[in-house]
Parts: sequence; structure tokens; C-alpha cells
Amino acid sequence: MRNSEPALEVRGLTKRFGGLVAVKDVSFQVRPGEILGLIGPNGSGKSTVIKLIMGIERPNAGAVTLAGVDVAGWPTHRIARQGVGIVFQHSRPLHRQTVLENIKLALLPDSLFRLVAEPWVDGQARAIAERVGLGEVLDRRPPTLPFADLRRLEMAKVLARDPSVLLVDEPFAGLTPSETAMFSKLIDDLRRDGRAVLLVDHNVKSVAALVDRVLAMYLGERIAEGSAESVMRDPTVRRVYLGGAIETHPRKELDARTAEPFLDVRGLDVRYGKAQALQQVSIHVNEGEFVSVVGLNGAGKTTLFNAISGLVPYEGEIRWDGKSLRGRSPAAIARSGLVHCPETRELFGDLSVRENLDLGGQHLSAASRTAQLAWLFDLFPIMAERERQPARTLSGGEQQMLAIARALMMQPKLLILDEPTLGLAPVILEQLSKALGRLRDTTPITVLLGEQNVTFALPHADRVYVLEHARIVWEGDPGRFAAEMGTGYL
Amino acid sequence: MNDIRSFPDATRIHRRPGLLRRKGLWIAALVVGVGAAGPTWMSAYYLGVFTVAFYFGVFAMSWDLLFGFAGEVNFGPTFLIGLGAYGAGLMNNAGLPIPLCLIGGAATAVVGGLLLALPALRLRGPYFGLVTLVAVLLLLDAIVIFAGFTGGEIGMMVPSVLSVSATVNYWYALGFLVVSAAILFTLSRSSLGLILQATGQDRTEAAALGFNVTKFKVAAFCISALFSGLAGAMLTFYQGTASVDQMVDLSIAVQIIIAVVFGGRRTILGGVLGAIFLVLFDELLRPIGQLNTFVVSAVALLVILLFPDGVLGYALRWTDKR
Amino acid sequence: MIALQILIDGFAIGSLYGVGAVGFTLMFGVCGVLNLAHGGIMLIAGLVGWWAAVNHGAGPYGGAAVGILAGLVASYVTYFVVVRPLQRSRAIPKSEEEIFILTGTLLWGIMIQVGMDYLFSDNPVTLQPMLPGVMNIFGVRTPRNEVLIAVVCWVVIGLLYLLVNRTRIGKQLLAASINPRGLTLLGFELSHIYLVVWSIYGLLAGLAGVLLASFFGVSSANAGALTASAFTIVILGGLGSVPGSLVAAYVIGYAETITAYLIAPTLRPIPALLILVLALYVRPQGLLGRR
Repeated sequence: MRNSEPALEVRGLTKRFGGLVAVKDVSFQVRPGEILGLIGPNGSGKSTVIKLIMGIERPNAGAVTLAGVDVAGWPTHRIARQGVGIVFQHSRPLHRQTVLENIKLALLPDSLFRLVAEPWVDGQARAIAERVGLGEVLDRRPPTLPFADLRRLEMAKVLARDPSVLLVDEPFAGLTPSETAMFSKLIDDLRRDGRAVLLVDHNVKSVAALVDRVLAMYLGERIAEGSAESVMRDPTVRRVYLGGAIETHPRKELDARTAEPFLDVRGLDVRYGKAQALQQVSIHVNEGEFVSVVGLNGAGKTTLFNAISGLVPYEGEIRWDGKSLRGRSPAAIARSGLVHCPETRELFGDLSVRENLDLGGQHLSAASRTAQLAWLFDLFPIMAERERQPARTLSGGEQQMLAIARALMMQPKLLILDEPTLGLAPVILEQLSKALGRLRDTTPITVLLGEQNVTFALPHADRVYVLEHARIVWEGDPGRFAAEMGTGYL
Repeated sequence: MNDIRSFPDATRIHRRPGLLRRKGLWIAALVVGVGAAGPTWMSAYYLGVFTVAFYFGVFAMSWDLLFGFAGEVNFGPTFLIGLGAYGAGLMNNAGLPIPLCLIGGAATAVVGGLLLALPALRLRGPYFGLVTLVAVLLLLDAIVIFAGFTGGEIGMMVPSVLSVSATVNYWYALGFLVVSAAILFTLSRSSLGLILQATGQDRTEAAALGFNVTKFKVAAFCISALFSGLAGAMLTFYQGTASVDQMVDLSIAVQIIIAVVFGGRRTILGGVLGAIFLVLFDELLRPIGQLNTFVVSAVALLVILLFPDGVLGYALRWTDKR
Repeated sequence: MIALQILIDGFAIGSLYGVGAVGFTLMFGVCGVLNLAHGGIMLIAGLVGWWAAVNHGAGPYGGAAVGILAGLVASYVTYFVVVRPLQRSRAIPKSEEEIFILTGTLLWGIMIQVGMDYLFSDNPVTLQPMLPGVMNIFGVRTPRNEVLIAVVCWVVIGLLYLLVNRTRIGKQLLAASINPRGLTLLGFELSHIYLVVWSIYGLLAGLAGVLLASFFGVSSANAGALTASAFTIVILGGLGSVPGSLVAAYVIGYAETITAYLIAPTLRPIPALLILVLALYVRPQGLLGRR
């Protein structure tokens, strides 16, 4: 039954975090019985939009209306009672309660004085559990459940709330194809019930079949809106995701391979609770190579790098410079020349650019440090300009350059770069790319780069791995990548 | 994080409630029966020891409700206890009969709890704990300053007592403990308890499910205050004095926390176990005089280092690990 | 005249409180640990210093040195026996670690208090003044020792400032308080950094204890009050902010001195708590609070 009034309307929504504008003047509508896909790469602001609608963050400007009622600035629980349900990106069950109790909770009223739930609650909870496929595990507790069941539990909770508007954040991350199909059907059923659904994801392809319309975001702003096909073909969207035409640079001939790879990862398995973040992943990097690991959000790149640098426990073998890394502390691994520049950058915000760099170079002699600084200032001239500024006042691109420069101060033998392009404007990407090129051409450094932006990842790479859903699905050189994988990637 | 290590009691298989409740109920009835028969086989001295232990048990259960369920660590439970004790004591000294004083003491504690909760709940992490600690210090100072009314560090005598008979006092305490335990345990298993667990474990998710988190946490505070204050008031009328050493001092606050940790956090009934053990252990060490606090604290430190899940915590995991 | 006396006395007391509070806040800022055995460590320093000075004829300076050393040792024991095992325990969930550390250090503090009471009884003891006699400051007769205490405190605070802002290790401490993971990725072992912090803390707490013994005297009955005063100051100044702690130390110091002189000496601790209550209702993160 179509209603002319939108179930959810967002107008001019804006949110600033300090100097960073996370969401800028975003507007859209979702009608009952409609699924709107909100897509964008990491850092585009889509998760913030959901939080703003749900009241978890307060907007700096703009209106959020639910069937005509303005709810912007309301506390979360009031918005929830007004008819909004949310499925978070990461499951949030009550770990000490059973599945049944978790679902029952969602059916309870916001009352202090109800000691006993009404008789229908138990039956309703069981029915919902059956509907999502949790009928067999009602008496189990979340830490003992597999990943997909936890996601089912999230769906069950939101079904119990019986919302007229449903916000779903990255529903298919970490699911197998069959599980994804089941979830799609569940969401589709919700649409058929006449609810309005806002689906957030980073990949248009995965949600194209499910959504009615798509709104694409980048750096907090709307860049395209329309049907899934039209958005996928939109030139701005393609540039943001793929960065334009895929180029490869003819690479210089590598010297004869040494017997053993510099970095050798074999049969890596990493689990976060029940979720398999990496499954039997094997990669190797030879000395002097530039290797790119390409994959979308949630594919496992960060987990892979965290395992290599000793930050998460793993099964399997990792050998570096001839020795196994198992048992070594992350700091010891960094000191041995394997330096990790993470996605989150981990800068010291209150310290100046110079102080950040100095900390990176603390293990060098004073003379080496001065020389290294000079070289880095040449590589990243903007760092010299901003030398005395606190790191947190730098722009996103400058912070990324500082993070890389700081890592380079350690004179690494192998530099791991995790998603350096996250949230950066295309102009900055060019500068970064040039700097990486110079790095590769003028020094013997070995680089392991993880990226979802293929155009950035390919030009300087000697070899490419593709990581998808916790597994390596492709390996080869950049030229072949363009031919075999390029078109299907988005 | 769904890491099993973070939630050690998650591997428990939940048996059908009917069966468990029945078995548990029988065990509880047996224990209470043995306890009620206490006067037949215990000396008056030990009746007194257990009487104090029972009140301590209520202190512990109230703390566990706030911590185990609403997820808030109160480092100053003795603020609430002291308000109840001294509030009731002052009223009694003004001439009111015991029942009214008990109500008045409990009410004082609840009001005090509200005044503390409202600003404290806006704070996160270590601040909340420290604020509750500050509340105790404030009360201690207030008692010392207004020593004219409160008897200062010596304590405040009250004219009325519950009874002069050790046996009767024992039964009052046991009865109070059983009723409090029944109420608090039932609350913990009720819908309210479930919501409190949600607000304690994950406030954003609880809000997303439509629950007013602040309202529930304040309610938990008030319930905890009610029982703590009432127990403090009853303890005053048992001993005939309201004193700082027995009711307000920080060392008492720490012992309450230790009692719950030792008995098992988030079990409500574990607190009773821990309280009885602590009081008995303290009693056992009486001959060594001053140093008994030292030994008790040392043992408590060992307990939190080596057995943080407590007796009931380990027992529940052990019986269900098949 | 009274005003000047208050000014001088308040300054000395504020400086003394400042040294203790700075150590406490540094411990929280860098290691994330709220050490509720703080008063106990100060107590050990003061009592051991007195014992060495009087019973072993070490004299005031020798006693002070021994006392500070005792504070350092007590700090290490607190770290290795209480805090580190709790931090490394696998049985304690991460989310509850802070609570357990607070409880553990509180227990340890009680143990120290009772232990010291047993060894030394709770009679207050005073360390002989290191600089006997009085001097005349604008007409106010002030004990020379008091002036020395204030000077020593400021020298130490100055040294600490230099350490944190101008040395390599200081930069590491600063970085650790901002982003421990970032520091790990740059090849620094956090365990070494923590050891440095506990060392600095031990020296500061030891010094504060010894100076307190010299100025007011210490007694095992006061251990809890010392901890309370330290964290009152630190909350008021803002947990983790060293300048905030210094400012708050003087605020509290002066409030206490004014109360003692103008109202009644017995009401001395009241203003601090009242100010704190006000602060918690109005600005709970403290004057300069960051973390």
C-alpha cells in the first residue's frame, strides 16, 4: 500500500566533528515499502548519517522527519519508540543472556514497573526466532554462536521492534553467499510489509538487486542519486571508486630473486570470536618488491596487516627476514624493520609534526635523524611548512603524509601501508601516488600496500593480490589485473 | 567483542527454567531452614556474628544489583548505608519509634542516592567510581563536623533497639536477609532485571531498543539505596549505635566489594556467600588483633587476582561444563 | 599580617600538594592507573625517613634520602605485586580492569596503613626540619624549613617539566599518554615506559611523603586522607592534566589555609570537598581535564 508521505525524510543534514565535516547538507526521502541504498567508500559519512537519524549523534543543522514528526535532537530511545529500528554494522547482543532473552528484551516496553513480561511475549519471541532461523539455538548464548547467527539475532531484535523505518548498516559484511541471500530475503520481506528501509553499504554491486534507489556519498556529500544501474555508470562515482582508468607503469626489472621471500605468510587464519576474518591466507613479498593487496572494506586487509605486525593473535606461519615472527612483541617487530602504518594512522594529535617525526626517528643517531628528516621534507614539502603545528590541526591528506613520513623515519626495510587513501580527495591522492613512486624508484624499500582504491594500488605495484571475504582469490601482475578483474570490480 | 574470554560464563547451557528453579529453590529452602535453626546449636556470641553477617549480606546484594545489573561500580556503598543508619538514628533520638525510623532511614538513603546518581551518571569510567568515593568522604566529614548531633567518630547511641535477645535479633536479621534476597533475586530475574542488564552492558543498543537508560540506572541506584539504607538502619537498631567504623568507613566499602567478587559478581546470592565468609574469616582472625585487617585485605587481594569470578561464578561454570 | 601569613603558608602547602598530585595524575595520564594506595606510599616514605633519621642517626637529610628511596621501592612493589598482575590477568575482562585495579590498590593501601600502624603505631611523627630556624619575609616570621620545602617542590616540578618537554624519554611519556598504540607501532615497548612512569611516580610520592613529614608530620591514621586529598585535587584539576593538578593543588591549599586561619583549624578539609562537589555538578571533567 503506497502512501504519498515519506516515512523518513532528511533535509540539509550536517554534522561536524571539530574541523572535520563528516556530513554536509545531505537530503533524501524514503517512502513506505521502499528500500533506499546509501553507498559510499569508507569515510564518506554514511554511517554518520545513520547515527544522526537514530539520535546517537546530534546534527549541527538539518531536519529529520518521521512521517511528518521532526525528531532531530531527540534522544535515541524516543526515536526508537517513534518507530525506527537499527541494525548496527557490528552485532551487539547481550553476551550473558540467551538468544531468547535477547529477543524478548526487544519486545519489552520502556517501563520500570513491569516485573513480568506479558504472556504473549514468549510466544512472539519464539515465532520471530523461527522466522529468522534461530529456532534451534534459543537457549544458547551469543559468544557460542557462529557469526551468521549473531547477525540473525540482530535482525530478530529489529523485527521485534516492529519499526516503520529500518536502518541497516552493512548487512552482508562477513556473510557467505547463501547467508547473504537469506538476509536479502528477510530485508525484502520487511519492504513488503510496508516498511521503509535505508540500507547502508560500501558496494553498489552487492545491494543492486535489493534496492529500489541508490544515493551515493563521498566525503560527506551526495554525489549521485538514482537507480542502481545509473549510479554505477555515473562518472563521478566511478572515479571515486576506481579513480578513473586503470594505469600500470612498466616496472624496472627486479634483481634475481633471493631464495627466501622477505616476508612469507603461510596459511594464516584469524578469528574474531566466531567471525573468520582471514582463512588460509598466504602471500609473500620479495625484497625490493612493491606488492598491493586489493580488496573492499571488510575483506580482511587490516586484519592481515595487524597479524603480521603482531597486534592480533593468529594461526599459521609468518616469517620475516628469515625468522618466524611468532612470539615477538609488536614493538620488537617494528624495531626489526617491519613498520606498519595503519589505517587509523595513530598520530599523536597534540604533538607537533616535528615531534611526531622525531619520535619515529628515536632509534637513529642524531646525524641520521637530521639527514632522514631533510629527505622526508623533500619528499613531502608540506611537512616542512607545517613543522610546528599540532598534528590534529592538519587536514586529512596532510595527516596521512605525516603518518607515512613518520613510519619512514624508522628507516623500515618493509613498510606496510594500510588504506592510505581513506577519505582523501582525488588531488591529494595524486600527490601521495607521486611520493610513493619516488620512494619506490629512489630507495631499496619494500612496500606492502593494502587498498580498496584500485587506481591507487596498481601503478607502482610489481604484484597484486586480491582479498575477498577473508580469502585470497587472485594473484598476478598489474597488467593482467586490468584485463581479468578490472571491469567486474565495481 | 564476542571473544569468549571476555564473557567466561557464556558457555553455560541454559537449562529449562522450571527444572533449575525447582532444584535451586529446594537448596535455598534447605539453607534457610538450617539457618533458622541456628539458635539451637550456636552460642549467643556466634548468633551475634551471624546477625552482622546477614546485614552485611544485604549490603553486598544491593551492591551487586547496581554493579552486576546496571553496570555501575559504586565505590561508596557506605554512603548509602551511612545515610540510612544515621538518618534512622537521628530520628530515633528525636523520639520516633523504630518502624518510622526504618522508613525514614531508607528514605534518607534513597534521597541521598538520587542526589548522588544524577550528576554521577553523567560521568563515564573512572570518574563515576571516584565520585562515589568522594560521597563517602563527604559523609565522613559531615559526621565528624556535626559531632554534636552525630557523636562524631565515637558513634551515635540510639535509645531503642530491636530486641535484647540474641536469638530474636538473629531471626530478625535472617528474616530481613531472606526477604531482601527474595526480592532482589526476583528483580534480577524479572523483565526489569533484563533491561538493567542491557543498560549496563551496552547503553547505545539499549537506547536503540527504546529504553531510557538514565531512568533505569537511576532506578537501580534507588533500589540499591533503599536496601542498603534499610539494612544500615536495622544494623543500627541491632547494635544500639550508629558508628562510622562499622557502617561508613572506606574499609567497609571495600569489604562489600570483595564480598561480591568472592561470592560471584552478577549472581545476587553470591554476595551473601561472600559476606558470611568475610565476617567469619574476620572473626577467625580476631586473636591476632590489629593485623586481622591486614590479613583479610591480603586474602582479598589474592582472591581478586586469582579467582575473580568468585565461588558461585566458578561453581556455575563447573556444573554446566559437560 | 594575617593575609601575608596565609599567602606564604598557602603557597608552601599548595606546592607540597602539587608534587604529590602531579605524580598521581601522571600515573593516570600515561598508564591509565588510579593508584588508591598513593597515601600509603607517601606514608611509607615519611615513616621510613623519620625512622632512619631518628633511630639510625641519619639526620634530616639522610632521612629524607632514605625516605624517598623507600617511596620508590613501595611504588615498585605496588606495580609488580598489585597492578601488573591485575593488568595481565586473563580472568578479568578488559572492561572491568579499571575497577579491579581501583579495588586492588585500595586493598593494598589498607594493608599498608594497617601494616605501618602495627610497625610504628599511629602516633604522628615529624621529620626534623632540614633547615632550622626562622626567617623574616616581609615581616612575617616563617620557618626556614617551610621556605625550603616550597623551593624544593618547585625545583622538582621544574625538573619534571624539563623531563617531559625536553628529553627523549619525556616525549615518549607524552606520546604514551596520547596514543599508546601509536607508540608501540614506532617500536617502543610500553612495558619499559610504564616502568619509567612508576619510577618517577615513586620518587615524587616519596618526596611528597618526606616533605609532609617535615612540615606537618605523618601518621598511619592519615594514609586514607592523603589519598583522598590527592585525588580530590586531581579530579578538580582534570584527570590526566599536569598543569590542572598544579592549579588545583594551590586552589585547595589556599582554601584549606584560609579556612584554618580565619574559620577554625578543625574544619580544614571541608572547603576542598565542597569545591569538589561544586565542580562535579558544574564541570565534572575538571578545570583543564582532557582524557
